[in-house]
Amino acid sequence: MAALRSSSRILSSSSRAAFRPSAVFARSMATVSETEQQPRIKSFQIYRWNPDTPTEKPRLQTYSIDLNKTGPMILDALIKIKNEQDPSLTFRRSCREGICGSCAMNINGQNTLACLCRIPAESSSDVKIYPLPHTYVVKDLVPDLTHFYKQYKSIEPYLQRDTPAEDGKEYRQSKADRKKLDGLYECILCACCSTSCPSYWWNSEEYLGPAILLQSYRWLVDSRDERTAARKSKLENSMSLYRCHTILNCTRTCPKGLNPGKAIAEIKKQMALGA
Amino acid sequence: MNAHRLGLAAVRSASASTPFFSQTLPRSLLAATLSTSSSSSLSTPSLKRPITTQKLSPEEGQQVLANQRLNRPVSPHLGIYKMEQTWFGASAWTRITGCTLSGAAYVYFTAYLVSPLLGFHVESAALASGFAALPFVLQGAVKFALAFPFTFHFINGIKHLVYDLGVGFAKKDIILGEKLLWISSLIGGGYLAFGL
Amino acid sequence: MASIVRPSLLRQTALAAKPAFRNSALRASAFHTSTRRSAFISPGPQRIEGTVNDPAPVPPPSAAHGSYHWTFERLLAAGLVPLSVAPFAAGSLNPTTDAILCSAVLLHSHIGFQSVIIDYIPQKSHPGLRKLFMWGLNLATLTVGVGLYEFETNDVGVTEAIKKLWKA
Repeated sequence: MAALRSSSRILSSSSRAAFRPSAVFARSMATVSETEQQPRIKSFQIYRWNPDTPTEKPRLQTYSIDLNKTGPMILDALIKIKNEQDPSLTFRRSCREGICGSCAMNINGQNTLACLCRIPAESSSDVKIYPLPHTYVVKDLVPDLTHFYKQYKSIEPYLQRDTPAEDGKEYRQSKADRKKLDGLYECILCACCSTSCPSYWWNSEEYLGPAILLQSYRWLVDSRDERTAARKSKLENSMSLYRCHTILNCTRTCPKGLNPGKAIAEIKKQMALGA
Repeated sequence: MNAHRLGLAAVRSASASTPFFSQTLPRSLLAATLSTSSSSSLSTPSLKRPITTQKLSPEEGQQVLANQRLNRPVSPHLGIYKMEQTWFGASAWTRITGCTLSGAAYVYFTAYLVSPLLGFHVESAALASGFAALPFVLQGAVKFALAFPFTFHFINGIKHLVYDLGVGFAKKDIILGEKLLWISSLIGGGYLAFGL
Repeated sequence: MASIVRPSLLRQTALAAKPAFRNSALRASAFHTSTRRSAFISPGPQRIEGTVNDPAPVPPPSAAHGSYHWTFERLLAAGLVPLSVAPFAAGSLNPTTDAILCSAVLLHSHIGFQSVIIDYIPQKSHPGLRKLFMWGLNLATLTVGVGLYEFETNDVGVTEAIKKLWKA
């Protein structure tokens, strides 16, 4: 929420006149001059809820912007709306390149990162933007992920071992063992997959959800970790792992192209075989 | 980044030119203005704070947060998520079809058990003769209502057993598998209902 | 770097353009809250145990509800594939395979219904309702088990009954 504070707001009133013409050229993405183009108006329907008026029901608010004057991504549109039309619109964002996971939200029915999702310019239908599904809403597009992080903490996501390194310097790993971590370590914990999972919707209290289970698997397959048995016993109950019914919404939604569904299947296989 | 720095510099230079903020103002005078809580000091716009703060202990802070949480709405889910992944998801339909078949079986065998006590007839012979009396279309509809859940549950059950081996998780395989599942189970259900 | 600059530049022009845009573009539409229409039990207001820095609690390990249960479920399901096809494909009437098929299907159904109850009736918020449904299911499965036994011994058997009905 606080991420959108900017010092430039303070000076804008004083320096507006001086900056304005150059700013118009700076943000223009088109090679042709803007006067020749027809405005391409796109409407965005955005979920709004304000904690200051908690009795008011959540609603959808429509904003229209000209795509010629907007960057290509949904996040660009959101920032433009916040800047130009409604400063009270609240959303998380940080890196704008899909590495921080802040701007995870539900765009046109699928969870993804706003910064990696193109504005569908060809279609004329409105873009619908909601917070991550079945989460408690802090404000507008900002969900509360406290429990998600607490669940992450519960799997002890760090290297645990008792034996010292053979050479006394570092824990070595074969190339093949390192390769097992590919597709797992890239996860940025944006919670897109967990909040796409119906099983997690109904049982987020106890079921860990795809993102946390993918991380769990990341430590289970790490050849340097020596607490595999303890990690597995944490999953030996009906809720933590086995609420997964291979719905596979997680794999379909992951904005990083990872495969939480497969990771969970591998955990189940390992647990069944006792290997 | 550069723009922010520029902005800060502009603020600094602007404030330097304003006599009020400048270091030349005697500190004692400034302190005196701050300490008097009369209306005159509040009317000075530069000194007015837009937000009032309140000191809280960590426990009290937790309590404020806990109270805020109680008001929060749950964001929409089934109503807004992509239909083909929720309402038409293969996994959900495995459950629906399974519950349909098992539910029908549970109802029938419970009825079979209690029928002698209540005096109605649901033995296979009575059921078959009653079923034969139905018009062909209705017969087909009933058969399809049983056959389609069976083929769907059967085929997707096998698909899920394959998933459990850790095979077939590529995104395009998932989508292809789902299409094939719907087509084959509809055809299979139709064949069992009308072809036999 | 360039795209970091962009938002702040945008902001300046934005503030200039604001009065013109503001009122015309803000259109609010009524919004349905899907939580109320949901067929599932409402999660209720948000409560979080402990502080942000405490890990979520981990349930005590029990393989009978975990990996053994899962493996048994899969083996049963895999076994049902030939069991449910064979009697119809072979066309022969065999009381033994019929009995095995019936008990396997009954167990498979019971586990399936149990899973449905666990998914949709949360233990934490509705312990009483969960217990009621679980015992209701146990009773239903027992009743159906007796019913199946009666059907197998007094009637023609499940496989034959389905055949008769289908050919009626």
